[in-house]
Amino acid sequence: MKSNALKPKHPLVDLCEARVGSKLRVRDLKSHPAVCQRLREMGFCEFAEIHKVADNGALICQVCGARVALSRSLGKQIIVEPVSAAKA
Amino acid sequence: MSTWATAPTQEKTLTFVLVGNPNCGKSTLFNALTGMRQKVGNYPGVTVEKKVGEFFSLHGQPMQIIDLPGAYSLSPRSPDEAITRDVLLGRLGDMTRPDRIVCVVDASNLERNLFLVTQILDLGVPTMLALNMIDLAQSKGISIDAAALSQELGIPVVACQAHKKIGVTELRQAMSKERLPHPVRRWRLQPEMEKAVNELSARLAEERGEEPSRLFAEALIILVGEKSGNDSELSPPVRQLAQGLRRELEEQGLDCHEAIVASRYQYAQEVCERVVRTGPVGEEDPSDKLDAVLTHPIWGWTIFLGLMSLMFFAIFTLATYPMDWVDGGFGALANAVKKAMPAGDLRDLITDGVIAGVGGVLVFLPQILILFFFIGLLEDTGYMARAAFIMDRIMSRVGLHGKSFIPLLSSYACAIPGIMATRTIENPKDRLVTILVAPLMSCSARLPVYTLMIATLLPAKTVPALQKAGIMMALYVVGTAIAFFFAWLFKKTIMHSETPVLIMELPPYRRPSLRAVAMQMIHRSKLFVKRAGTVILGLSILLWFLAAYPKIDGADASSQLAQSFAGKAGHAIEPLIKPLGFDWKIGIGLIGSFAAREVFVSTMSVVYNVEATDDTSVPLREAMLQEKWPDGSPVFTPLVCVTLMVFYVLAMQCISTVVVVRRETNSWRWPLFQIAYMTGTAYLACLLVYQGGKMLGL
Repeated sequence: MKSNALKPKHPLVDLCEARVGSKLRVRDLKSHPAVCQRLREMGFCEFAEIHKVADNGALICQVCGARVALSRSLGKQIIVEPVSAAKA
Repeated sequence: MSTWATAPTQEKTLTFVLVGNPNCGKSTLFNALTGMRQKVGNYPGVTVEKKVGEFFSLHGQPMQIIDLPGAYSLSPRSPDEAITRDVLLGRLGDMTRPDRIVCVVDASNLERNLFLVTQILDLGVPTMLALNMIDLAQSKGISIDAAALSQELGIPVVACQAHKKIGVTELRQAMSKERLPHPVRRWRLQPEMEKAVNELSARLAEERGEEPSRLFAEALIILVGEKSGNDSELSPPVRQLAQGLRRELEEQGLDCHEAIVASRYQYAQEVCERVVRTGPVGEEDPSDKLDAVLTHPIWGWTIFLGLMSLMFFAIFTLATYPMDWVDGGFGALANAVKKAMPAGDLRDLITDGVIAGVGGVLVFLPQILILFFFIGLLEDTGYMARAAFIMDRIMSRVGLHGKSFIPLLSSYACAIPGIMATRTIENPKDRLVTILVAPLMSCSARLPVYTLMIATLLPAKTVPALQKAGIMMALYVVGTAIAFFFAWLFKKTIMHSETPVLIMELPPYRRPSLRAVAMQMIHRSKLFVKRAGTVILGLSILLWFLAAYPKIDGADASSQLAQSFAGKAGHAIEPLIKPLGFDWKIGIGLIGSFAAREVFVSTMSVVYNVEATDDTSVPLREAMLQEKWPDGSPVFTPLVCVTLMVFYVLAMQCISTVVVVRRETNSWRWPLFQIAYMTGTAYLACLLVYQGGKMLGL
């Protein structure tokens, strides 16, 4: 299902490693199935575009127009591909 | 034809349900439709109780509407969401399936909201969409073609701004329509899954004699193997078929859950592409700027601690003025009654029982109102979710997550709303731990006891108010620290589970509606006043009776009390509480306050007023200070005052909380455990403080 056209152009990182202010594309969720399900329902589906807003102990992301706070431990289980660099 | 399509008739009241994501303005819309007073909050899952309202169609027919808890999906993750799913599927007790659904969506966040809409439409129940918060969407440069959206989804769509009551009449008009179409599913699964679900719904339809298209939603739930109330009722052939189909799909390498969510989102995305126009984004979102400061690692904490300090400072200083008025008012009332009535049992009952008892508790209403005002304000502005976010770091140290902070903060006002707010916590063990420790947060019912004991401990005139506020703060800190300790202990032992991960939506900041905050204050303090007027009034009269009877001829007031029913009970437990430095009169207070903590103050008022021989009753504090042991040493030494405060910080003394915990955990085991561990800890801590203090020569 994941065709070649969707191959990542940039190296994959986890959400904690991604830079604050950058646009990211979700590539993989590595948490428990139930948590993955909830993440997807909240908009963190595979290939969805998200925006990392803040990283202060926990993370804040803008996804589908809503702002969502996530634990850092969860951020490590969300694998993303940077789409654009952080704004200066 | 099923009942869903029944046109409104004189005989049948149509039942609507309001469904939507948390923070989409559902409760505000509910208020706008029904005018019913109800709490409007801002953090996820504020609507935890079943809220039913009545309103009239444009043709004057009464209709019923239920405000369901906010949900992100019909695959529930918390008890709250399970309620929503069960009501929609008609699985909740004796509730029948709703006749019609009003789906509320946040226009500024349409794609995410449409995910739930696709699940609702699968149910096949006549549905209409309230496209709420269009003003917020417009300010973000988003415009939505409501007519096109209606075409896409095949249901009526009404744009509205619930908080300004714009579009509410149009929505009522849509709701009043005699006939509404049954929605038809327009999103498609991958072919292999589509085939499997169709096969399953055909089998279900065969069994139940219903139309297969209506059973699609249920077939989907059965196929993914989700636990639901009806699992045991599935017939063996259906269960076997579902298992077989699931295995087949797994063999093809398909993850059912992932595939379904992806298909729904793909459809939502396609719909959005056709109906949403995004203009040039204006200036930066004000929520961004605020969040940059309010969730900042240093500034965020500074502001958070500042707000908490301000709240407690206001409670302990500002509130003293109105408290003096209330106190003075009841004092004047008691004196007036004393002058107007001839001396006798009835006069004593009214002044010493009713007025002293109820007045002693109502005097704390100003403090409680201030606490509720702050909590309401924090919720209404959207700050509460940020506070939970900030607290996540501390909460995760004891094995809970930030969401547990909201119930705990509410518990400072009262453990009952706090315990009910735990329904948004997904993991049952984390929820139970939060319920178990919530009553350790000093609630408003403890304030009367703390204030009385601080006043007894420190002379009124010579000690600055700040020092008293400091002691009060220390009591709150001790309670909170012990709550965190027990949360950690429970998570390490009986409730062992991994530290939960936080996934929480942060709603946009908004200007608080003072009306909504005021309504909430009134709604919540009503409970307190009602308790003062019922339980505490009743207990005050009962205690007065127990302290005044049986009458002993010729006995002075002191020996009369000692030989009364209450005195005998106090004497009976004295051996148990003497090691804590408490005498039998305090024992009467402790027994009385097992029903509700604040009763301690009214009990003490009754106990000491019964003894007062002249007509001018001394203030309770003075009476307590004059109290002596038989050997002439004072009862209320500073050490005893501190020990009593420690007891009230820790002991579980609230019948209402016990009842709520029983209801929320569905067993007597947990409330009994809670009483045992809290009161046991209180006893041991008091023993340690009193005996330790004595050894140090205090």
